[in-house]
Amino acid sequence: MVRNIKTALALVALTVTFALQASVYAQDSMHVDKTKTLETGTFHGKVHKTSGRATIYQEADGELLLRLTDFKTSNGPDVHVILIAAKDADDDANFLNSSTERVELGTLKGNEGDQNYEIPSGTDLSRFQTVSIYCERFNANFGAAPLEKF
Amino acid sequence: MDTRTGFRLSHRKWILAAIGFPILVAAWWAFRPEKLWINQKVNEPAPFAATTDPQPLYTGRLEGKAHQTSGRATIYRTSDGRQYLRLTDFMTSNGPDVHVVLVQTDDANLTKEIVTDQVDSVELGRLKGNQGDQNYDLPASVNLQKYTAAVIYCERFHAIFGVARLEKF
Repeated sequence: MVRNIKTALALVALTVTFALQASVYAQDSMHVDKTKTLETGTFHGKVHKTSGRATIYQEADGELLLRLTDFKTSNGPDVHVILIAAKDADDDANFLNSSTERVELGTLKGNEGDQNYEIPSGTDLSRFQTVSIYCERFNANFGAAPLEKF
Repeated sequence: MDTRTGFRLSHRKWILAAIGFPILVAAWWAFRPEKLWINQKVNEPAPFAATTDPQPLYTGRLEGKAHQTSGRATIYRTSDGRQYLRLTDFMTSNGPDVHVVLVQTDDANLTKEIVTDQVDSVELGRLKGNQGDQNYDLPASVNLQKYTAAVIYCERFHAIFGVARLEKF
């Protein structure tokens, strides 16, 4: 009887050990940059070929900044950089749904090259997840970059 | 008589011009066709001046294969030229003999969960943990133009746990 209980206990202990086979956490450190990289994504665009990377940084003072690198799109009139409250923009449709919520970041500074745009404080990045290069005059989405956590 | 006709024609031309010119200007303003071949280049510096910090070169999200795997893989270069792969937000299943390797993106083995033939890969080391941020040094000789997929690979069962196809940062 005692022996049975001991065996049972041993079995239980063994089961618990296996069940608790802990996940191994690694926590390698990295040089802590004053500027944090929050999100990044790459552009896709069919109607107006658009390529490059969009990255959102948080500066030491808490300001959010969007930076475009390796960037290229077609030049056009009245082109803006906006954040839209969508997972991605449908580049086949070309036009943005008028009800799509957006945050204006400014007129596109150049259709080629690295460029920075300030993001208004209080912008909820968990809702505004996509960068769109957007021609206001024709309501056309030149290209979009869905952002993912860096 | 001839002069009158000439006058009438030129009068009509004037009206046409008066209507046509603004339309042309409006069309030019709306479409700005010259922008099709005029590029506007900019080159703003990065928001961070400190170039002593490691710079990201390539990055990509991990996709699960044989086991659910998620997170981001990024290759950094330090100011002294050393390169390393860093996994962040990382999560995979724990397993035996799991390694981190670099594979060529177009390697057919990456479409499978279980690999049957030899994989041409660059070994970065044994997986330090199945969760959490971790760094792996890259051999100095590694060709990052060629080996652009970071793979979590179980050598014992030839199982690909997860793949991150890296793109230029």
